[in-house]
Amino acid sequence: MVAAGVATLALALTACGSDSDDSAEGGSGDSGGKVTLTISTFNEFGYDDGLLDEYMKQNPNITVKHTKADTSQAAGDALRNALGAGSGGSDVAAIEGDQMPEFLQYADKFEDISDPSLDGRWQDWKTAQATDAKGRLIGYGTDIGPEGICYRSDLLKEAGLPTDRESVAKWMGSTWDDYFKAGEEYTKKTGKPFYDSAGTIRLGMENQMQNAFEKDDGTIIATENPEVKDMYDQLLAESAKGLSAGLSQWTQDWNESFKTGGFATTLCPGWMLGVVQGNAPDVKTWDITNSFPGGGGNWGGSFLTVPSYGKHVKEAKALANWLTAPEQQIEAFKSKGTFPSQIEALKDPAITEATNPYFNDAPIGQILTDRANAVTVKPFKGPHYQAINDFLADALGRVDIDKVDDADTSWNKFVTDVNGLK
Amino acid sequence: MGPVRCPHGTGTGPVPGAASSCDLREHTTAMATTTSSRTAGSTPTPAKPRTPRRAGFSQRLGRWDLKLSPYLYISPFFILFLVTGLFPLFYTAWVSFHDWDTVMGQGEFVGLENFQYVLTSADFWKAVRNTFSIFLLSSIPQVIIALVIAAMLDQNIRAKTFWRMGVLLPYIVTPVAVALIFSNLFADQSGIINQWLGALGFDPVRWHAEVIPSHLAIATMVNFRWTGYTTLILLAAMQAVSRELYEAAVIDGAGRARQFFSITVPQIRPTMIFVVITSTIGGLQIFDEPRLFDQAGNGGSDGQWQTLTMYLYRLGWSQSDFGRASAVAWLLFVIIVIIGLINLAVTRRIATSGGKR
Amino acid sequence: MTAPALVPTAPTPESLRPKKVRTAVRRPGWITYGLLAAVLVGSVFPLYWSVLVGSWDSSVLTRDPMPWFPGGNFWFNASRVLDSIPFWKATGNSLLVSTVTASSTVIFSTLAGYSFAKLRFRGKGPLLIFVIATLAVPTQLGVVPLYLVMAKLGWTGSMLAVIVPALVTAFGVFWMTQYIGSALPDELIEAARVDGASMIRTFWHVGLPAARPAASMLFLFTFVQVWTNFFWPFIILGPQNPTLPVALQSLQAAYFVDYSLVLAGATLATIPLFILFLGAGRQLVSGIMAGAVKG
Repeated sequence: MVAAGVATLALALTACGSDSDDSAEGGSGDSGGKVTLTISTFNEFGYDDGLLDEYMKQNPNITVKHTKADTSQAAGDALRNALGAGSGGSDVAAIEGDQMPEFLQYADKFEDISDPSLDGRWQDWKTAQATDAKGRLIGYGTDIGPEGICYRSDLLKEAGLPTDRESVAKWMGSTWDDYFKAGEEYTKKTGKPFYDSAGTIRLGMENQMQNAFEKDDGTIIATENPEVKDMYDQLLAESAKGLSAGLSQWTQDWNESFKTGGFATTLCPGWMLGVVQGNAPDVKTWDITNSFPGGGGNWGGSFLTVPSYGKHVKEAKALANWLTAPEQQIEAFKSKGTFPSQIEALKDPAITEATNPYFNDAPIGQILTDRANAVTVKPFKGPHYQAINDFLADALGRVDIDKVDDADTSWNKFVTDVNGLK
Repeated sequence: MGPVRCPHGTGTGPVPGAASSCDLREHTTAMATTTSSRTAGSTPTPAKPRTPRRAGFSQRLGRWDLKLSPYLYISPFFILFLVTGLFPLFYTAWVSFHDWDTVMGQGEFVGLENFQYVLTSADFWKAVRNTFSIFLLSSIPQVIIALVIAAMLDQNIRAKTFWRMGVLLPYIVTPVAVALIFSNLFADQSGIINQWLGALGFDPVRWHAEVIPSHLAIATMVNFRWTGYTTLILLAAMQAVSRELYEAAVIDGAGRARQFFSITVPQIRPTMIFVVITSTIGGLQIFDEPRLFDQAGNGGSDGQWQTLTMYLYRLGWSQSDFGRASAVAWLLFVIIVIIGLINLAVTRRIATSGGKR
Repeated sequence: MTAPALVPTAPTPESLRPKKVRTAVRRPGWITYGLLAAVLVGSVFPLYWSVLVGSWDSSVLTRDPMPWFPGGNFWFNASRVLDSIPFWKATGNSLLVSTVTASSTVIFSTLAGYSFAKLRFRGKGPLLIFVIATLAVPTQLGVVPLYLVMAKLGWTGSMLAVIVPALVTAFGVFWMTQYIGSALPDELIEAARVDGASMIRTFWHVGLPAARPAASMLFLFTFVQVWTNFFWPFIILGPQNPTLPVALQSLQAAYFVDYSLVLAGATLATIPLFILFLGAGRQLVSGIMAGAVKG
């Protein structure tokens, strides 16, 4: 979901704690089979434009109360607190994909939702993300974040480079080497940065690695994995120096740069489209390619879970099941643009034929569908993924953004940080 | 900080006004120290038990009333402190000796492992550095500026209340709002402060990248909110300075500036130092402003402005490690207690030297 | 940063106040007023900035030259703030928490202060020293166990978790002790006792009225402090049921930052205490100066 990006905001942002509405008790005073369910999400899941009302109409004995946190971090913190306290949380709780590995450690505290009727609803890798070692499935997939590249066509034009989607895709090539080479060309011609920060590009590269930080058994390999070190070196190489605008994601300066043309390209999972548009509503030249370096890539996407502390887990499962059925997810896409993870939904014309006027009328449904199909690697993310990910973001930031360390010093700090993990 | 003994009394006055009251008592008899000398000391209060009129039950009730009521009245504070102050402190120690996951709860006993981790972590020492640096940058300039403003307010100005309320205004703004406003002003590229610096021909300052500039920006937030408050305390101290001293100085032909430096500053010096000292407990736990200095809230990619309380939060609530977080809490506690003891020594000395003047 | 402790000194009885012979009876010159005006600009500017940016759209920051007067977008931004965060709920929560804790702090502190200042009981001296010593204990550092306790009680996310630990403070007790000690003559208590009044009656009819001025100041300070408090509510309350500062910070933490939205939120969040300040600022000022001089 949208807040996938917020995962990169690094650690927790908002209050821990949990939904304290008395309704969280699940309406213990219910009479006549009336049940009050609470659902907590973050940012925009697209449930407010009628979906929940629809559910209540179909199930007159159910009342659903929806609370939204601002970020996935806040939602994760709230859920973590509720799990720790064993009470006070929502009956249905949304979890962002990158946080899922951490919560899988506590899989016993969630309902196992696996059911033959759900087989084949989601892409395999989506299901795998929410399945623990013992085979418990704890999350109903909502959306995914297949990535293309967003670019400013006017900036490329000034540099005398291709501007339409197909030619840009071709120019940027199919590997990260190609992408960097294209960047060097752009930067040489214009003297301007190509992408926002090394940290952003890193997310694209990292999400294509099978075992970036941890082996399948959870052993941490982040500091020895040559893939990670190569990526780090490539991002901070001498030749890549001018390519980065050194703008930390989600900062004011980063936001402003969407308007002012501080960089020409950035990674664009489906949910990022809204961010770009929100940051530069008056710029008419943002566009998106139907291509991605190094093959397909997925960044973000969420799940609905049913924690076992709830008093009405059966009803909660029914609600989450219904919300994540293809039909409802299509409605959510229409409402807020969250790209479905359901195989059925991806075939629906409402998805495949969708266009986005802001991005130069890009056939966004087709592009994102293609991008989703191009995802081949299912990255393993273990319980330490989030922590290591943040350490690496800091390591790159020290060199690329803050310029307080050279690459080697910063890497050594990264190694120290990772070794400190339990 | 603990009780402060006045040089010639038994008053307990750990705070600015009381401090100045120690050495200014001759002049300002109304300051509160006399009270506390009576209460804290062993001098019996004059309230005598009344003569019994009726014997029996009501008399016994009266005696119990007399004996127990005082304890009853003070009990809410002590009960609450035991439950929410003292118990958590010791329990923090208990947690710090364990492997303690925020969700899974108590794990194995690990002895001093958490302390070892924290004490060998570069982040911890950076946080110590940042915490002290931000504290010094926010207290020393604050006192100096407040001193100047207080001196102006101490003159015979018109519309006194207006000016006093004016300087106090920032005090009512929540630190979260202050941080949001200032992190906008201090943005590295699009911030107005860097634009002004640019207009003046300076290079833009990288507020969010370099250590000292980030501390300066955060200290500015603290100072914005607290300078007015400090000013009023210093003003109160200034107004308690005997006007006869100034009259004598005028007769000696001393000018305004001379009066300020030879009379005002020395007379209120104890208050100034008290202001710094009393702000240490809060200042060393600073969290709100640095937390909201950028969107991520982790104190920068290199921990440039991560403070100890932020580090505690990060360990406990983001990395789900209550054991290590508790270790940081204890270490910070020890630091504050040590500083408190130093404060005590310093204040005693000041009180003494002040009184001998 | 928490409030630097202040000295609760009793307002000086007029007769005891040192004669204020001004060295310079003449009014200061324009330089003083000029500097004071500059200080005033310094304390108002950030707030004005907040109103300014909050009343335009987000592109105002990149406009050249920037407008220096408020635009017409404030209500639009404010309505977006209300959509983004549970503003009214948060305001209600803050009001509840601040009012309850300020009231209870005043009640319990006055009782304890009266007891310490005017009653005789065993162990009084050490107990008072204990109270003063706790001023130096950074209780904020007990967050981990306090959090565990709240989780056990099922109070996470509830206002109880914020209210209960703040019901009474060492500062309040000390403040009232100091004040009542100097403002209430022992003779009055004695007289009441001789008349046969019970302890609580004596407190009610003699102690409480005498303590009123200091009690109202204590109320104000506690109210402001609890209202502006962030760390503990941030930890223990959820995003669904926040106090105002906790709700406010989530505006910045959102996935893309629109500063006209954020600063409109900061402005909105400042308004309630600003109103309080207009009404009671004079009292706050004299509370801080605490009797050393009359406001």
